Amino acid sequence: MSSFLEINNISKAYSGSENDRFLVLKNLSFDVKQNEFLTIVGPSGCGKTTLLKLIAGFIKTDSGQILKKNKILNGSAPDRIMLFQDFEQLFPWKTVLENVLFPLRAKNILATKNERVTLAKKYLKDVYLENYLDFYPHQLSGGMKQRVALARALVIEPAILLMDEPFGSLDGQSRNYLQDMLLEIWKNYNRTIIFVTHDIREAIKLGDRIIVMENEPGRLKKIIVNKIKRPRQQVDQEFIELYNQIYALLK
Amino acid sequence: MKVKTYLKRIIWIVFIALIWEIIAKSAYFSPLIFPGLETIFKALYTELFSGELLKQIIFSLSLIIQGLIISLIIALLFSLLSLISKNFNSLLDTLIALAHPLPGIALMPLVLIWFGVGTASILFIIVHSVLWPLVLNLRTGFKAIPEIYKLVGKNYGLNSFEIMWYIMTPAAFPYFLAGLKIGWARAWRALISAEMLFGAAGSMGGLGWFIFKKRVFFDLPGVFAGIIVIVIIGILVEDLIFNKLEDMTVKKWGMQI
Repeated sequence: MSSFLEINNISKAYSGSENDRFLVLKNLSFDVKQNEFLTIVGPSGCGKTTLLKLIAGFIKTDSGQILKKNKILNGSAPDRIMLFQDFEQLFPWKTVLENVLFPLRAKNILATKNERVTLAKKYLKDVYLENYLDFYPHQLSGGMKQRVALARALVIEPAILLMDEPFGSLDGQSRNYLQDMLLEIWKNYNRTIIFVTHDIREAIKLGDRIIVMENEPGRLKKIIVNKIKRPRQQVDQEFIELYNQIYALLK
Repeated sequence: MKVKTYLKRIIWIVFIALIWEIIAKSAYFSPLIFPGLETIFKALYTELFSGELLKQIIFSLSLIIQGLIISLIIALLFSLLSLISKNFNSLLDTLIALAHPLPGIALMPLVLIWFGVGTASILFIIVHSVLWPLVLNLRTGFKAIPEIYKLVGKNYGLNSFEIMWYIMTPAAFPYFLAGLKIGWARAWRALISAEMLFGAAGSMGGLGWFIFKKRVFFDLPGVFAGIIVIVIIGILVEDLIFNKLEDMTVKKWGMQI
Protein backbone atom coordinates (compact mmCIF):
# COMPACT_ATOMS: atom_id res chain seq x y z
CA MET A 1 0.00 0.00 0.00
CA SER A 2 1.28 3.41 -0.86
CA SER A 3 1.07 6.23 1.61
CA PHE A 4 -2.34 7.83 1.79
CA LEU A 5 -1.62 10.55 4.25
CA GLU A 6 1.90 11.82 4.64
CA ILE A 7 3.09 13.85 7.58
CA ASN A 8 6.26 15.43 6.33
CA ASN A 9 8.69 16.90 8.84
CA ILE A 10 6.21 19.19 10.60
CA SER A 11 6.94 21.52 13.48
CA LYS A 12 4.61 23.69 15.45
CA ALA A 13 5.23 26.20 18.23
CA TYR A 14 2.80 28.23 20.26
CA SER A 15 3.85 31.70 21.24
CA GLY A 16 3.89 32.05 24.97
CA SER A 17 4.91 35.19 26.80
CA GLU A 18 7.31 37.57 25.04
CA ASN A 19 10.14 35.71 23.30
CA ASP A 20 9.23 32.47 24.88
CA ARG A 21 8.00 30.28 22.04
CA PHE A 22 6.88 26.91 23.20
CA LEU A 23 7.76 24.17 20.75
CA VAL A 24 4.95 21.61 20.69
CA LEU A 25 5.94 19.41 17.79
CA LYS A 26 9.40 19.00 16.37
CA ASN A 27 10.26 17.49 13.00
CA LEU A 28 7.52 14.93 13.02
CA SER A 29 7.22 12.59 10.03
CA PHE A 30 5.15 9.49 9.44
CA ASP A 31 2.84 7.91 6.87
CA VAL A 32 -0.70 6.70 7.20
CA LYS A 33 -2.00 3.99 4.90
CA GLN A 34 -5.44 4.01 3.43
CA ASN A 35 -8.02 2.28 5.66
CA GLU A 36 -5.44 1.95 8.39
CA PHE A 37 -6.30 2.20 12.06
CA LEU A 38 -3.43 4.19 13.50
CA THR A 39 -3.20 4.90 17.19
CA ILE A 40 -0.97 7.53 18.71
CA VAL A 41 0.02 7.19 22.33
CA GLY A 42 2.12 9.53 24.40
CA PRO A 43 2.33 11.42 27.66
CA SER A 44 0.26 14.56 28.09
CA GLY A 45 1.90 17.57 26.51
CA CYS A 46 3.47 15.61 23.68
CA GLY A 47 1.36 17.50 21.13
CA LYS A 48 -1.08 14.72 20.23
CA THR A 49 -4.06 17.05 20.07
CA THR A 50 -2.05 19.67 18.21
CA LEU A 51 -1.10 17.03 15.66
CA LEU A 52 -4.75 16.17 15.04
CA LYS A 53 -5.70 19.83 14.79
CA LEU A 54 -2.96 20.30 12.21
CA ILE A 55 -4.22 17.36 10.16
CA ALA A 56 -7.81 18.63 10.51
CA GLY A 57 -6.60 21.99 9.24
CA PHE A 58 -7.82 24.01 12.24
CA ILE A 59 -4.29 25.39 12.65
CA LYS A 60 -1.31 25.74 10.36
CA THR A 61 2.11 24.13 10.60
CA ASP A 62 5.14 26.35 11.15
CA SER A 63 7.18 24.19 8.83
CA GLY A 64 6.70 20.95 6.94
CA GLN A 65 3.62 19.74 5.10
CA ILE A 66 0.75 17.37 5.41
CA LEU A 67 -0.12 15.61 2.16
CA LYS A 68 -3.10 13.53 1.21
CA LYS A 69 -2.56 11.46 -1.93
CA ASN A 70 0.47 13.63 -2.67
CA LYS A 71 -1.51 16.85 -2.45
CA ILE A 72 -0.68 19.40 0.21
CA LEU A 73 -3.60 19.92 2.56
CA ASN A 74 -4.68 23.45 3.25
CA GLY A 75 -7.38 24.34 5.75
CA SER A 76 -10.15 22.14 7.08
CA ALA A 77 -12.52 20.10 4.95
CA PRO A 78 -15.16 17.44 5.54
CA ASP A 79 -12.86 14.69 4.23
CA ARG A 80 -11.15 14.82 7.63
CA ILE A 81 -13.61 14.91 10.50
CA MET A 82 -12.39 15.36 14.03
CA LEU A 83 -14.04 13.88 17.08
CA PHE A 84 -13.29 15.56 20.35
CA GLN A 85 -12.93 14.29 23.88
CA ASP A 86 -15.41 16.93 25.04
CA PHE A 87 -18.92 15.50 25.39
CA GLU A 88 -20.36 18.89 24.49
CA GLN A 89 -19.54 18.68 20.79
CA LEU A 90 -23.20 18.08 19.91
CA PHE A 91 -25.57 20.97 19.36
CA PRO A 92 -27.86 21.02 22.40
CA TRP A 93 -30.75 22.65 20.50
CA LYS A 94 -30.98 19.75 18.09
CA THR A 95 -32.24 16.23 18.71
CA VAL A 96 -30.03 13.21 18.13
CA LEU A 97 -31.42 12.77 14.62
CA GLU A 98 -31.16 16.49 13.80
CA ASN A 99 -27.56 16.55 14.97
CA VAL A 100 -26.69 13.76 12.57
CA LEU A 101 -28.69 15.41 9.78
CA PHE A 102 -26.89 18.70 10.35
CA PRO A 103 -23.83 18.15 8.11
CA LEU A 104 -26.01 16.72 5.35
CA ARG A 105 -28.42 19.61 5.41
CA ALA A 106 -25.77 22.27 5.80
CA LYS A 107 -23.81 21.01 2.82
CA ASN A 108 -26.86 20.03 0.78
CA ILE A 109 -25.82 16.42 0.47
CA LEU A 110 -28.63 14.25 -0.98
CA ALA A 111 -31.63 15.83 -2.61
CA THR A 112 -34.59 15.00 -0.42
CA LYS A 113 -35.17 15.05 3.27
CA ASN A 114 -36.28 11.43 3.19
CA GLU A 115 -32.99 10.28 1.74
CA ARG A 116 -31.08 12.25 4.34
CA VAL A 117 -33.15 10.86 7.20
CA THR A 118 -32.67 7.32 5.91
CA LEU A 119 -28.91 7.76 5.79
CA ALA A 120 -28.75 9.38 9.22
CA LYS A 121 -30.83 6.58 10.71
CA LYS A 122 -28.56 3.97 9.17
CA TYR A 123 -25.52 5.41 10.93
CA LEU A 124 -27.42 5.93 14.16
CA LYS A 125 -28.27 2.25 14.02
CA ASP A 126 -24.57 1.45 13.67
CA VAL A 127 -23.94 3.22 16.95
CA TYR A 128 -26.99 1.51 18.51
CA LEU A 129 -28.96 4.70 19.01
CA GLU A 130 -31.88 4.06 16.68
CA ASN A 131 -34.25 4.28 19.65
CA TYR A 132 -33.03 7.70 20.74
CA LEU A 133 -33.72 9.74 17.60
CA ASP A 134 -35.84 12.38 19.31
CA PHE A 135 -33.77 12.75 22.46
CA TYR A 136 -31.88 15.95 23.15
CA PRO A 137 -28.17 15.72 24.00
CA HIS A 138 -28.68 16.78 27.62
CA GLN A 139 -30.83 13.69 28.12
CA LEU A 140 -28.00 11.36 27.05
CA SER A 141 -25.04 9.87 28.92
CA GLY A 142 -21.50 10.80 27.95
CA GLY A 143 -20.98 7.58 26.03
CA MET A 144 -24.19 8.07 24.09
CA LYS A 145 -23.19 11.63 23.20
CA GLN A 146 -19.90 10.36 21.79
CA ARG A 147 -21.79 7.78 19.76
CA VAL A 148 -24.01 10.49 18.28
CA ALA A 149 -20.90 12.51 17.45
CA LEU A 150 -19.45 9.45 15.73
CA ALA A 151 -22.62 8.95 13.70
CA ARG A 152 -22.59 12.63 12.76
CA ALA A 153 -19.01 12.26 11.54
CA LEU A 154 -19.70 9.05 9.62
CA VAL A 155 -22.77 10.36 7.87
CA ILE A 156 -20.82 12.52 5.44
CA GLU A 157 -18.46 9.63 4.77
CA PRO A 158 -15.11 11.26 5.49
CA ALA A 159 -12.01 9.49 4.25
CA ILE A 160 -10.25 10.14 7.54
CA LEU A 161 -11.55 10.16 11.09
CA LEU A 162 -9.44 12.07 13.58
CA MET A 163 -10.25 10.96 17.09
CA ASP A 164 -8.88 12.95 20.00
CA GLU A 165 -9.30 10.68 23.01
CA PRO A 166 -13.03 10.46 22.36
CA PHE A 167 -13.48 7.80 25.04
CA GLY A 168 -11.06 9.39 27.51
CA SER A 169 -13.74 10.67 29.88
CA LEU A 170 -15.79 7.48 29.96
CA ASP A 171 -15.95 4.75 32.58
CA GLY A 172 -14.17 1.50 31.75
CA GLN A 173 -17.23 -0.44 30.76
CA SER A 174 -18.57 2.18 28.34
CA ARG A 175 -15.10 2.62 26.94
CA ASN A 176 -14.79 -1.09 26.12
CA TYR A 177 -18.20 -1.06 24.55
CA LEU A 178 -17.38 1.93 22.36
CA GLN A 179 -14.00 0.51 21.35
CA ASP A 180 -15.65 -2.67 20.09
CA MET A 181 -18.30 -0.65 18.31
CA LEU A 182 -15.69 1.54 16.65
CA LEU A 183 -13.73 -1.49 15.43
CA GLU A 184 -16.91 -2.94 13.98
CA ILE A 185 -17.66 0.32 12.14
CA TRP A 186 -14.09 0.60 10.93
CA LYS A 187 -14.26 -2.91 9.49
CA ASN A 188 -17.58 -2.26 7.77
CA TYR A 189 -16.87 1.11 6.22
CA ASN A 190 -13.18 1.13 5.33
CA ARG A 191 -12.23 4.39 6.96
CA THR A 192 -8.80 5.63 7.83
CA ILE A 193 -8.70 6.38 11.52
CA ILE A 194 -6.08 8.29 13.47
CA PHE A 195 -6.85 7.76 17.11
CA VAL A 196 -5.04 9.63 19.85
CA THR A 197 -4.99 8.30 23.39
CA HIS A 198 -2.87 8.26 26.50
CA ASP A 199 -4.14 4.82 27.40
CA ILE A 200 -1.64 2.17 26.24
CA ARG A 201 -4.21 -0.63 26.39
CA GLU A 202 -6.58 1.34 24.17
CA ALA A 203 -3.78 1.98 21.68
CA ILE A 204 -2.94 -1.73 21.53
CA LYS A 205 -6.52 -2.90 21.33
CA LEU A 206 -7.40 -0.62 18.42
CA GLY A 207 -4.35 0.13 16.30
CA ASP A 208 -2.83 -1.60 13.29
CA ARG A 209 0.20 0.46 14.07
CA ILE A 210 0.99 2.40 17.20
CA ILE A 211 2.97 5.61 17.17
CA VAL A 212 4.69 6.25 20.46
CA MET A 213 5.51 9.89 21.10
CA GLU A 214 7.57 11.64 23.74
CA ASN A 215 7.22 15.16 25.00
CA GLU A 216 8.98 18.50 25.33
CA PRO A 217 9.14 18.98 22.46
CA GLY A 218 6.65 16.48 21.07
CA ARG A 219 8.39 14.08 18.72
CA LEU A 220 8.21 10.59 17.42
CA LYS A 221 9.81 7.90 19.51
CA LYS A 222 8.84 4.71 17.78
CA ILE A 223 6.37 3.25 15.35
CA ILE A 224 5.22 -0.22 16.33
CA VAL A 225 3.43 -2.57 13.98
CA ASN A 226 0.77 -4.32 15.99
CA LYS A 227 0.52 -7.91 14.75
CA ILE A 228 -1.76 -9.25 17.45
CA LYS A 229 -4.83 -10.85 15.94
CA ARG A 230 -8.21 -9.27 16.59
CA PRO A 231 -10.17 -9.48 18.82
CA ARG A 232 -7.38 -8.60 21.17
CA GLN A 233 -7.62 -9.65 24.78
CA GLN A 234 -5.79 -7.79 27.50
CA VAL A 235 -4.87 -11.06 29.22
CA ASP A 236 -3.10 -12.51 26.15
CA GLN A 237 0.63 -12.97 26.49
CA GLU A 238 1.38 -10.95 23.33
CA PHE A 239 -0.81 -8.11 24.58
CA ILE A 240 1.03 -7.97 27.88
CA GLU A 241 4.41 -8.06 26.18
CA LEU A 242 3.50 -5.22 23.85
CA TYR A 243 2.11 -3.30 26.79
CA ASN A 244 5.37 -3.66 28.67
CA GLN A 245 7.35 -2.61 25.61
CA ILE A 246 5.35 0.58 25.15
CA TYR A 247 5.28 1.25 28.87
CA ALA A 248 9.08 1.09 28.93
CA LEU A 249 9.27 3.46 25.94
CA LEU A 250 7.08 6.01 27.69
CA LYS A 251 8.96 5.94 30.97
CA MET B 1 -45.32 22.75 43.02
CA LYS B 2 -46.43 25.18 40.35
CA VAL B 3 -50.11 24.88 41.29
CA LYS B 4 -49.17 25.58 44.88
CA THR B 5 -47.33 28.76 43.88
CA TYR B 6 -50.37 29.96 41.97
CA LEU B 7 -52.66 29.08 44.85
CA LYS B 8 -50.50 31.04 47.29
CA ARG B 9 -50.47 33.99 44.96
CA ILE B 10 -54.23 33.98 44.66
CA ILE B 11 -54.63 33.79 48.42
CA TRP B 12 -52.39 36.83 48.84
CA ILE B 13 -54.28 38.78 46.18
CA VAL B 14 -57.57 38.01 47.91
CA PHE B 15 -56.02 39.12 51.18
CA ILE B 16 -54.84 42.44 49.72
CA ALA B 17 -58.23 42.99 48.06
CA LEU B 18 -59.90 42.36 51.39
CA ILE B 19 -57.79 44.97 53.16
CA TRP B 20 -58.43 47.38 50.32
CA GLU B 21 -62.14 46.85 50.65
CA ILE B 22 -62.08 47.30 54.43
CA ILE B 23 -60.28 50.63 54.07
CA ALA B 24 -62.68 51.75 51.34
CA LYS B 25 -65.73 50.68 53.32
CA SER B 26 -64.48 52.40 56.48
CA ALA B 27 -65.02 55.65 54.54
CA TYR B 28 -61.96 57.14 56.20
CA PHE B 29 -61.01 58.51 52.76
CA SER B 30 -63.45 60.01 50.34
CA PRO B 31 -64.66 57.37 47.84
CA LEU B 32 -63.55 59.81 45.12
CA ILE B 33 -59.94 59.28 46.19
CA PHE B 34 -60.16 55.72 47.43
CA PRO B 35 -62.86 53.92 45.47
CA GLY B 36 -64.13 50.51 46.52
CA LEU B 37 -63.50 47.40 44.49
CA GLU B 38 -67.04 47.31 43.23
CA THR B 39 -66.79 50.72 41.55
CA ILE B 40 -63.35 49.91 40.18
CA PHE B 41 -64.50 46.68 38.55
CA LYS B 42 -67.66 48.34 37.30
CA ALA B 43 -65.48 50.96 35.61
CA LEU B 44 -63.24 48.25 34.20
CA TYR B 45 -66.27 46.42 32.86
CA THR B 46 -67.88 49.42 31.19
CA GLU B 47 -64.60 50.67 29.73
CA LEU B 48 -63.78 47.25 28.34
CA PHE B 49 -67.20 46.73 26.81
CA SER B 50 -67.55 50.21 25.43
CA GLY B 51 -64.52 49.26 23.36
CA GLU B 52 -62.55 52.31 24.46
CA LEU B 53 -60.13 50.48 26.76
CA LEU B 54 -59.75 47.58 24.34
CA LYS B 55 -58.78 49.95 21.52
CA GLN B 56 -56.13 51.53 23.72
CA ILE B 57 -54.77 48.13 24.74
CA ILE B 58 -54.41 47.10 21.11
CA PHE B 59 -52.78 50.44 20.30
CA SER B 60 -50.23 50.05 23.11
CA LEU B 61 -49.47 46.43 22.35
CA SER B 62 -48.96 47.09 18.64
CA LEU B 63 -46.56 49.91 19.50
CA ILE B 64 -44.56 47.72 21.85
CA ILE B 65 -44.36 44.88 19.33
CA GLN B 66 -43.14 47.28 16.64
CA GLY B 67 -40.58 48.67 19.07
CA LEU B 68 -39.38 45.19 20.03
CA ILE B 69 -39.02 44.08 16.42
CA ILE B 70 -37.03 47.19 15.47
CA SER B 71 -34.80 46.75 18.53
CA LEU B 72 -34.27 43.08 17.77
CA ILE B 73 -33.10 43.71 14.25
CA ILE B 74 -30.74 46.50 15.30
CA ALA B 75 -29.43 44.52 18.28
CA LEU B 76 -28.72 41.46 16.14
CA LEU B 77 -26.92 43.57 13.55
CA PHE B 78 -24.90 45.44 16.16
CA SER B 79 -23.81 42.37 18.06
CA LEU B 80 -22.88 40.45 14.90
CA LEU B 81 -20.94 43.44 13.56
CA SER B 82 -19.11 43.76 16.85
CA LEU B 83 -17.97 40.15 16.45
CA ILE B 84 -16.56 40.87 13.02
CA SER B 85 -14.98 44.27 13.56
CA LYS B 86 -12.85 45.24 16.53
CA ASN B 87 -13.36 48.93 15.77
CA PHE B 88 -17.11 48.57 15.73
CA ASN B 89 -16.91 46.61 18.95
CA SER B 90 -15.15 49.46 20.73
CA LEU B 91 -17.63 51.96 19.27
CA LEU B 92 -20.46 49.80 20.53
CA ASP B 93 -18.83 49.62 23.97
CA THR B 94 -18.78 53.40 24.07
CA LEU B 95 -22.36 53.72 22.86
CA ILE B 96 -23.57 51.26 25.49
CA ALA B 97 -21.61 53.02 28.23
CA LEU B 98 -23.22 56.33 27.25
CA ALA B 99 -26.74 55.26 26.44
CA HIS B 100 -27.46 52.32 28.70
CA PRO B 101 -27.62 54.26 31.99
CA LEU B 102 -29.78 56.96 30.43
CA PRO B 103 -33.47 56.53 31.34
CA GLY B 104 -35.81 56.90 28.38
CA ILE B 105 -37.81 59.54 30.27
CA ALA B 106 -34.78 61.85 30.31
CA LEU B 107 -34.79 61.90 26.52
CA MET B 108 -38.45 62.82 26.22
CA PRO B 109 -38.15 66.63 25.98
CA LEU B 110 -35.56 66.20 23.25
CA VAL B 111 -37.58 63.59 21.42
CA LEU B 112 -40.63 65.85 21.55
CA ILE B 113 -38.72 68.57 19.73
CA TRP B 114 -37.12 66.21 17.24
CA PHE B 115 -39.99 63.91 16.39
CA GLY B 116 -42.99 65.80 17.73
CA VAL B 117 -45.95 64.22 19.47
CA GLY B 118 -46.89 60.87 18.05
CA THR B 119 -46.03 57.26 17.61
CA ALA B 120 -42.55 57.95 16.21
CA SER B 121 -41.51 59.51 19.51
CA ILE B 122 -42.92 56.65 21.55
CA LEU B 123 -41.20 54.12 19.32
CA PHE B 124 -37.93 55.96 19.75
CA ILE B 125 -38.22 55.76 23.53
CA ILE B 126 -39.11 52.06 23.41
CA VAL B 127 -36.21 51.22 21.12
CA HIS B 128 -33.84 53.17 23.35
CA SER B 129 -35.04 51.27 26.41
CA VAL B 130 -34.84 47.83 24.83
CA LEU B 131 -31.89 48.05 22.49
CA TRP B 132 -29.01 48.38 24.95
CA PRO B 133 -29.84 45.55 27.35
CA LEU B 134 -30.61 43.38 24.35
CA VAL B 135 -27.28 44.16 22.67
CA LEU B 136 -25.44 43.49 25.94
CA ASN B 137 -27.09 40.10 26.31
CA LEU B 138 -26.64 39.10 22.71
CA ARG B 139 -22.99 40.00 22.74
CA THR B 140 -22.42 38.04 25.94
CA GLY B 141 -24.31 35.16 24.35
CA PHE B 142 -22.15 35.17 21.24
CA LYS B 143 -19.00 35.31 23.31
CA ALA B 144 -20.11 32.46 25.55
CA ILE B 145 -20.49 30.03 22.66
CA PRO B 146 -18.12 27.09 23.18
CA GLU B 147 -15.23 27.15 20.71
CA ILE B 148 -15.94 23.54 19.89
CA TYR B 149 -19.24 24.38 18.14
CA LYS B 150 -17.43 26.66 15.73
CA LEU B 151 -14.72 24.06 15.14
CA VAL B 152 -17.38 21.48 14.34
CA GLY B 153 -18.99 23.90 11.87
CA LYS B 154 -15.66 24.66 10.27
CA ASN B 155 -14.84 20.96 10.06
CA TYR B 156 -18.04 20.23 8.15
CA GLY B 157 -17.11 22.87 5.63
CA LEU B 158 -19.42 25.70 6.67
CA ASN B 159 -18.38 29.24 5.74
CA SER B 160 -18.40 32.11 8.24
CA PHE B 161 -21.91 33.16 7.34
CA GLU B 162 -23.25 29.64 7.69
CA ILE B 163 -21.50 29.23 11.04
CA MET B 164 -23.11 32.45 12.19
CA TRP B 165 -26.57 31.47 11.02
CA TYR B 166 -26.69 27.74 11.72
CA ILE B 167 -24.54 27.59 14.85
CA MET B 168 -23.94 30.88 16.62
CA THR B 169 -27.48 32.22 16.42
CA PRO B 170 -29.16 29.17 17.99
CA ALA B 171 -26.27 28.73 20.44
CA ALA B 172 -26.80 32.29 21.68
CA PHE B 173 -30.57 31.86 21.90
CA PRO B 174 -30.74 31.49 25.72
CA TYR B 175 -29.04 34.86 26.10
CA PHE B 176 -31.26 36.31 23.43
CA LEU B 177 -34.35 35.16 25.30
CA ALA B 178 -33.05 36.55 28.59
CA GLY B 179 -32.36 39.86 26.85
CA LEU B 180 -35.82 39.87 25.34
CA LYS B 181 -37.35 39.37 28.79
CA ILE B 182 -35.48 42.34 30.21
CA GLY B 183 -36.24 44.26 27.03
CA TRP B 184 -39.95 43.59 27.30
CA ALA B 185 -40.08 44.72 30.93
CA ARG B 186 -38.24 47.92 30.12
CA ALA B 187 -40.25 48.58 26.97
CA TRP B 188 -43.52 48.16 28.84
CA ARG B 189 -42.52 50.73 31.47
CA ALA B 190 -41.16 53.13 28.86
CA LEU B 191 -44.28 52.82 26.77
CA ILE B 192 -46.69 53.72 29.55
CA SER B 193 -44.68 56.75 30.64
CA ALA B 194 -44.17 57.94 27.08
CA GLU B 195 -47.85 57.63 26.33
CA MET B 196 -48.70 59.71 29.39
CA LEU B 197 -46.38 62.50 28.34
CA PHE B 198 -46.99 62.48 24.61
CA GLY B 199 -50.72 62.06 24.78
CA ALA B 200 -52.98 61.19 21.94
CA ALA B 201 -52.30 61.20 18.26
CA GLY B 202 -55.87 61.60 17.12
CA SER B 203 -58.12 59.64 19.45
CA MET B 204 -55.47 57.01 20.16
CA GLY B 205 -53.02 57.44 22.98
CA GLY B 206 -52.63 53.98 24.42
CA LEU B 207 -53.03 52.77 27.97
CA GLY B 208 -50.82 55.43 29.49
CA TRP B 209 -52.86 58.13 27.87
CA PHE B 210 -56.06 56.40 28.97
CA ILE B 211 -54.99 56.55 32.62
CA PHE B 212 -53.79 60.12 32.26
CA LYS B 213 -57.07 61.21 30.72
CA LYS B 214 -59.03 59.54 33.51
CA ARG B 215 -57.02 61.45 36.08
CA VAL B 216 -57.78 64.72 34.35
CA PHE B 217 -61.48 64.01 34.74
CA PHE B 218 -60.89 62.83 38.30
CA ASP B 219 -62.25 59.42 37.40
CA LEU B 220 -60.28 57.32 39.88
CA PRO B 221 -62.13 54.06 39.25
CA GLY B 222 -61.14 54.56 35.60
CA VAL B 223 -57.51 55.14 36.64
CA PHE B 224 -57.53 51.93 38.64
CA ALA B 225 -59.17 50.06 35.78
CA GLY B 226 -56.24 51.10 33.58
CA ILE B 227 -53.72 50.07 36.23
CA ILE B 228 -55.34 46.67 36.64
CA VAL B 229 -55.16 46.11 32.88
CA ILE B 230 -51.46 47.01 32.89
CA VAL B 231 -50.78 44.57 35.72
CA ILE B 232 -52.75 41.78 34.05
CA ILE B 233 -50.99 42.22 30.71
CA GLY B 234 -47.65 42.19 32.48
CA ILE B 235 -48.46 38.95 34.27
CA LEU B 236 -49.86 37.32 31.14
CA VAL B 237 -46.79 38.11 29.06
CA GLU B 238 -44.38 36.95 31.77
CA ASP B 239 -46.21 33.82 32.80
CA LEU B 240 -47.78 32.73 29.56
CA ILE B 241 -45.63 33.92 26.69
CA PHE B 242 -42.14 33.92 28.16
CA ASN B 243 -42.54 30.86 30.36
CA LYS B 244 -44.08 28.97 27.47
CA LEU B 245 -41.28 30.08 25.17
CA GLU B 246 -38.72 28.89 27.73
CA ASP B 247 -40.43 25.53 28.07
CA MET B 248 -40.40 25.11 24.31
CA THR B 249 -36.77 26.07 23.87
CA VAL B 250 -34.05 26.49 26.50
CA LYS B 251 -35.70 24.16 29.03
CA LYS B 252 -36.27 21.49 26.41
CA TRP B 253 -32.68 21.83 25.23
CA GLY B 254 -31.20 21.89 28.74
CA MET B 255 -29.64 25.27 27.96
CA GLN B 256 -30.89 27.44 30.82
CA ILE B 257 -28.48 30.16 31.84
